[in-house]
Amino acid sequence: MSRILRSLAVIGVALVVLGPLGLILYQSFLNEPFFSASARFSLDAYRYVLADTGFHSAFGTSLVVSLGMTLIAVPLGSLLAFLLVRTDLPGKKWLEPWLLVPIFLSPVVLAFGYVVAVGPVGFFSLWTKALIGRVPWSLYSLFGLVLIAGLTHVPHTFLYVSSALRSLDPAVEEAARVAGAGAWRIAVTVSLPLVTPSILFSAALIFLLGFELFGLPLVLGDPAGLLVLTTYLYKLTNLLGIPSYHLMAVVALSIVALTFPLVYLQRRMLRTAARFAVIGGKGQAFRPLPLGALRWAALALVLIWLMITVLLPLIGVALRSVVSSWGEGIRLSEVLTLDHFRELMGYPNLVRGIVNTFLIGGAGGALSVAFYAVVALAAHRWQSRWVTLVDYLVMVPRALPGLVVGLAFLWVFLFFKPIAFLRTTLFSLWVAYTVVWLAYGLRLISASLFQVKPELEEAARVIGAGPSVVCRDVTLPLIRFGLIGSWLLIFMMFVREYSTGVYLLGPGTEVIGSLIVSLWGTGALDLIAALSVVEVALVAVVLFIALRLGVRLDA
Amino acid sequence: MLDLVAEKIEKQLGSAQVLCGVSFELHQQEILALLGPSGSGKTTLLRSVAGLERPDAGKIELRGKVVFDAASGFEVPAEQRGLGLVFQSYAIWPHRTVFENVAYGLRLRHKAETEIRQRVGEVLERLGLGPLKDRYAHQLSGGQQQRVALARALVYNPPVLLLDEPLSNLDAKLREDARAWLREIIKQTETSALYVTHDQTEALAIADRILVLDAGRIQQEGAPEQIYAHPVTQFTADFMGSNNRFEGKVTEISGARARLAGEDWSLWGELRAEKNAGAAATGVIRVERLRLSDSEGPNQLRMKLKSVLYLGERWEYLFYLGDLRIRLWGEQRLPEGEYWISVPEKSLWIF
Repeated sequence: MSRILRSLAVIGVALVVLGPLGLILYQSFLNEPFFSASARFSLDAYRYVLADTGFHSAFGTSLVVSLGMTLIAVPLGSLLAFLLVRTDLPGKKWLEPWLLVPIFLSPVVLAFGYVVAVGPVGFFSLWTKALIGRVPWSLYSLFGLVLIAGLTHVPHTFLYVSSALRSLDPAVEEAARVAGAGAWRIAVTVSLPLVTPSILFSAALIFLLGFELFGLPLVLGDPAGLLVLTTYLYKLTNLLGIPSYHLMAVVALSIVALTFPLVYLQRRMLRTAARFAVIGGKGQAFRPLPLGALRWAALALVLIWLMITVLLPLIGVALRSVVSSWGEGIRLSEVLTLDHFRELMGYPNLVRGIVNTFLIGGAGGALSVAFYAVVALAAHRWQSRWVTLVDYLVMVPRALPGLVVGLAFLWVFLFFKPIAFLRTTLFSLWVAYTVVWLAYGLRLISASLFQVKPELEEAARVIGAGPSVVCRDVTLPLIRFGLIGSWLLIFMMFVREYSTGVYLLGPGTEVIGSLIVSLWGTGALDLIAALSVVEVALVAVVLFIALRLGVRLDA
Repeated sequence: MLDLVAEKIEKQLGSAQVLCGVSFELHQQEILALLGPSGSGKTTLLRSVAGLERPDAGKIELRGKVVFDAASGFEVPAEQRGLGLVFQSYAIWPHRTVFENVAYGLRLRHKAETEIRQRVGEVLERLGLGPLKDRYAHQLSGGQQQRVALARALVYNPPVLLLDEPLSNLDAKLREDARAWLREIIKQTETSALYVTHDQTEALAIADRILVLDAGRIQQEGAPEQIYAHPVTQFTADFMGSNNRFEGKVTEISGARARLAGEDWSLWGELRAEKNAGAAATGVIRVERLRLSDSEGPNQLRMKLKSVLYLGERWEYLFYLGDLRIRLWGEQRLPEGEYWISVPEKSLWIF
């Protein structure tokens, strides 16, 4: 790549990342929305928000939820990683892709699934009540929220710990075995301590994701009157009737103030982890550790987790989409119907939402991958301070929840008049999605580029190819499968995305995710169920294709 | 005429000074080996010539044309130097067939399709790759990949061929055959070659001239026989061949001769460094130069046999005398006991 193209890529990233953040910052110091003629610089918004007891309790709840879900997800995820990577757990080859499935499911769909499956009048609740006379659990509670958040974030720990375990030399475990340790002892005293950096990294990540949770607390916390920072921000929109952008900006910044240090901490941890990586195994075949009689108990643990985290909510959603009504005393066989899907077709905005979701995943995803590829190639083998700048820039969207990025881009398109007309087109949504998934996308492409040995490019240089010709003839052809894989993964992420589109939702920019959020406010359960089924089906098809093509989900 | 001139090349990587002002010349049709242990800077030097590294100081000329000059900041990028480079890992592009790998250099030079087919065909035929032209890298053996890498570098007739440890990824048996074959091919093409290796046997066999590098400095330069038989520095003496070392003190100097003495031994040898009587010194002698002797004589040591190793084509004996340990080669198993060992004065170099 030529210098000019490289510099342009860096400037492009800086613009899309810093622009929205700058606007939030600017707005937070005004006493009114920025478009208002009487807007003045003031600290009123800070004073109002910081004095609001609602904000205090949302802050506290966020902290408890983050901490709680980390305490659940990290030990469980580490254990599952050890079981699947290092032991002779029955059926582990078949189980592994399933462990990552929750990553590709929309939290708002999962939350809705829990409501209709195990909520006060959920399918499983009522069946249990018919059986034993009462419902022994309560979904709408802080504990319920923390538990579900914890269980659905297990894959994040699994992802990092399993890849660290895979690169661990099996000889260190074999040495422990020869010395007389059993599988459980090996896990606790040898394998997991050796991958401590990855475990801590995933803990920091989950703690961070806890502050960005939106779908789960919106659906599950609301009935119990629980607000976290994101839902507090969302309620603020509707609370005052008039646009309270200055207050929202302060809340958004308060979230960033919490998440940014965590992102920075993670970055520091990653460097330490790299130093630990000297253990590096040779990837040779090794005999898995025998679990003995424990293997069936271990399998049961994995299956129970899968049941609760994936099957339960999905069965709930699927059932709810094909019943006309549900409640106590209703027999399932009497209320079966496909009306909800027919009804869906009667709403032009919902039909547009489905088409748009497909477009933003397919065409938008492809364009985003192209953009990520340009940025990644710009930084590829470029010894320059600019590369460090890109590294830091990429950290910014990681600290911004989708909800905040969506809000910021809404303001960008309102603020800059020449591009205002784009606000009601899918373009606005695409830009926001691309920024939200910037770090993830770049990581996917860099992982492919990492596989390209430098000599392959140098050989072309020496033979007579200039930098851009090398890129065209050697680098790009070598990573083409990686690019296709990245596109499929981004496709799924864009389809499941819901919070980024919330504020950009309008005629022309509907997508399934944000429609579900807005329908949740109106209580249209039938439509939500049908839309959720469409979304899950779309993700399932792409996931199936990705797995058939051998795309690694754990990139 | 000179194909390549490098003047006072300096390069720092991180905190390490990899090259400290290395200069050399490469004559037409000459094979020059850059020989040195790992970390000696030989690969960095080769990559600097190729244009893949940018030296901090120095000047490089290719066939009389400057391609790099640190003083003026002038640099011809790698792709415009027109050199051929064979990588240690071969770097065969996995997404192209053998034919397309080799043809790429000609395609970049916008040659006509018929010419490309003819020239690639010729070079593949010459390197014995004709029947493999439609294969991909993963369908080739290590030796075949190595030949593809060579074909790819030779097809556009580069003025200088650069080879970075081209044989080190082959197994030992194959490597011995490849040595003779590689020298023959380079000589046939009438190109000059810069050959990087850490394997002294390879350098001795293939090169017309050897440049011994250590810690970024040239230790010695000369024909293979000269480097082996007349090392001028202790590093070269030690690095080449299989050696015995005597640590001791110079007790007497007489012209170019000196007497080196340890606790309970003393030997005459050739003085190869500036030393005064009384100075600590090291004696180096090739293992094959030592002989067992039947009776007492000048420059001999009486030593005890410690162990005997069978190496296949010969036996290796380990003798000791106080702290002194010595290796020696012979043709049969030796019974235990004390023996006379004769140390030829001309072959013991004192540094």
